[in-house]
Amino acid sequence: MDILISSLFAGLLIGMVLALVALGLNIIFGVMEIVNFAHGEFLMVGMYTGLFTAQATGMEPLLTLPVAAVVGFLLGIICYYGFIKFLIRGPMVAQLLGTFGLMLFLRNIALLIFGSEDRALHHGILVDKSFDMGMGVIVPATKLTAAGLSVVAFVAVWLLMNRTKIGKALTATALNAQGARYMGIPTERMNALAWGIGGGSVTIAGALIVNFWSVNPFMGLLFTMIAFAIVALGGFGSVPGAFFAGLVVGLITEIPGIWDFFTYTFNFDWMNNVPMTSLKYMWVYLAYFVIVVVRPRGLFGWKQ
Amino acid sequence: MALLEIHGLIKDFGGLRANDDISITMERGELVGLIGPNGAGKTTLFNCVSGLHPVTSGRVMFDGQDITDLKAHEVARLGLARTFQVYVASGDLNVEENVMVGCFMRTRSPSRARARANEILKDLNLHDVSEFRVSELTVAAQKRVTMATALGSDPKLLLLDEVAAGLNPSEIEEIMADIRHVHEDMGVTVMLIEHVMELVMKVSDRVIVLDSGKKIAEGDPETIVEDPRVIKAYLGERYVREHGGDIG
Amino acid sequence: METIKNALDFSDSPRIDLTIAGLVALFLLVFPIFPHSAFAMATMIQFLMFSLYGMGWNTIGGYGGQVDLGKAQYVGIGAYTTAVMLIRWDVPFWISMPIGMCFAVIWSFIIGYPLFRLKGHYFAIATIATTLVLKDIFEVWDFVGAARGLEISPIKYIPPDFLRLIFKQDVYYYYVILGFFFLGILYVNWFRRSRLGFQLRSIKDNEDVAQSLGINVHWAKVKTYAIATAFVSLVGSFHACYIKNIEPEDTMSLDLSILIALMAMLGGAGSLWGPIIGAGILIPCKSYLKEWLGAQVGLVGIDLIIYAGIIMVISAFEPRGIWGIVEKVRRRKRS
Repeated sequence: MDILISSLFAGLLIGMVLALVALGLNIIFGVMEIVNFAHGEFLMVGMYTGLFTAQATGMEPLLTLPVAAVVGFLLGIICYYGFIKFLIRGPMVAQLLGTFGLMLFLRNIALLIFGSEDRALHHGILVDKSFDMGMGVIVPATKLTAAGLSVVAFVAVWLLMNRTKIGKALTATALNAQGARYMGIPTERMNALAWGIGGGSVTIAGALIVNFWSVNPFMGLLFTMIAFAIVALGGFGSVPGAFFAGLVVGLITEIPGIWDFFTYTFNFDWMNNVPMTSLKYMWVYLAYFVIVVVRPRGLFGWKQ
Repeated sequence: MALLEIHGLIKDFGGLRANDDISITMERGELVGLIGPNGAGKTTLFNCVSGLHPVTSGRVMFDGQDITDLKAHEVARLGLARTFQVYVASGDLNVEENVMVGCFMRTRSPSRARARANEILKDLNLHDVSEFRVSELTVAAQKRVTMATALGSDPKLLLLDEVAAGLNPSEIEEIMADIRHVHEDMGVTVMLIEHVMELVMKVSDRVIVLDSGKKIAEGDPETIVEDPRVIKAYLGERYVREHGGDIG
Repeated sequence: METIKNALDFSDSPRIDLTIAGLVALFLLVFPIFPHSAFAMATMIQFLMFSLYGMGWNTIGGYGGQVDLGKAQYVGIGAYTTAVMLIRWDVPFWISMPIGMCFAVIWSFIIGYPLFRLKGHYFAIATIATTLVLKDIFEVWDFVGAARGLEISPIKYIPPDFLRLIFKQDVYYYYVILGFFFLGILYVNWFRRSRLGFQLRSIKDNEDVAQSLGINVHWAKVKTYAIATAFVSLVGSFHACYIKNIEPEDTMSLDLSILIALMAMLGGAGSLWGPIIGAGILIPCKSYLKEWLGAQVGLVGIDLIIYAGIIMVISAFEPRGIWGIVEKVRRRKRS
């Protein structure tokens, strides 16, 4: 029973962080219907930023979040004005391949600068502390904090999108770019802003994740795919959808733990033979496939 | 047996009723004009009949067969062809190849499709431009190419959606001749949506008027132009009150 | 008969194109006679393989306009079928290759049927997702060697073994793949002017119009996807015999899928010569960049950065590819 509850709990916690990861992708897609393959690489940039800022200054890792946010925001804006702006004039195949090029570009720059080894944070007030949640569930403080701060960041972005003038201009651009342009909204700047907010929110997630996950130049694709799955499940363009879908996908990544629980409980030998841990992320990909085929609008989507 | 029978067709988009209980019967060899103000539901009716939109209720019979629930390509194969109002082929197909796509409905052989396409292009006086891309042509020629493409499938019934919109008078004369040729010499039954009244009134055997999704009048062109309901639909209630039914 | 005639009929290409194509074909035929390095030979074989991959992708992606980013899974299916059958049951290439094609085509129907209900980005990402699922399964599946992959050990065979496609010298592989290359061109040349080819180009233009011309849009896409798959799986089988060492990571990766699509796009998607031009430029670029820069100490990844830069520039500024430029210039000259 412990394993089951631990798994479910861990799944929900990581789900909250993943929701924040997907949020940026969702905003960008919502506003300008372009899929950013480099999204996972943005996350990686956030992780490296958090890691090196904390190591270089000896600062508490949680305090690096604003630095990561600024770096991500600038990265998003630079990518938009330097590249995406030109890309969106072309056909869809060019857009997909173009952002894939961006992904390779960022990945290999990281490889050139940082090398291929895994790097992890080893200091900070949260490291090696954990909370006993009762019923035998022990949660590392890093994950709990990351989840909590992710929710805060998520809500902040949601408020920005819904309660401010700028957010409303963004939503208007998302709904009807041409109409928005006639209303005097500078859609070009809105697109750039979407990239900025998208980049900033995902690098915050990165700076949180680096507290309990090591970083290397190749980890981006996995998170890109996870973000795609979340966005597809929540519905392209839906912010609350992204949150609940994040939780669901978080639970999906914990399928191996749940599987273990059933293996022990029912003592099925054959279940032991399935290399579940290696297939951890297959379920995410499979979930994406099933979701888009069965319900292309997602759970809360308004765009199709 | 009538070629096309539409019985009580209703089409809803969300809360909006685009076609409201429309019934139309067309005999073989007729040329029917379908008119009505913008938003009357003419194109929606075409989309429903040709299978692009599922109907909300009602039945459509074509050539003795119930086609209500068939998909668009199945309807097309039975011999019901149509053109589209706003469509410019942007792809890399040239005029001849465009028409060939239509011809491929009846044959697998590229050479036979090409031969048939050239026949049609000659028939419609388009063989001079057969090597051009559709986007390189004048609007009038583009419209005639869409007609030629639809004819490539050797249809029994051809639905033409605003083939004369945006053309100048001499081009309208030309396309009118084309329509007559298709109807009389090629023996195709034709229904056309048209805003250019001159054309509809000259070529149609019978005119059907839609307004706000309903069929409000039907009859030969001379009676339709004098029908007060039609005048009201086109010119508004107030105009009719002030001028009576007399607009000629 | 008409089929063969149409496949051999290139009369709609301008004479200058045919002259260039003829010279290139001649060069390809006699290339091994000239003195060359082993590296150049390997690059040429890669070029031919990727031309074929690109031609396959071009049927569905170029003529049909469906952005397929999951072609690598079929490379994997082809390669693994051939490798497993050869290693376990000593089945020759010429039998295992068509069987691999069958597996690939069956798999393409299984995922293509639901996938082609999707459009645009959904479709593109879903093709990636299925590839990753298959790759993950192969990475834990002991029967196919799991993550270690499979190795065809050449010692067991006496080269040159034409049945099993085991050779010592690359020149044999070169001529085998060159044969497939010429057949591939003839096939695509037939395909683009066949009924299905026309239907597909019409679908790319406008699906509603295509339907109203009696085309079963969904089925036409699924069929073409299967054709593209067969191409890719064939080269996958060849890859197994040629490389002799296959892993999920290099036969089913996203990078490979993207490279395949890129080939066609760089050259010009939806044109007969596009994928070949694309492969002819990109493959030498990639191999020589890697050869010159990839191994430099302290510069790991620099070749891929340049490569990524090329992708970005092309997709932002010349998405219609090189063939698109050629056509633009020609049209301008004509008018």
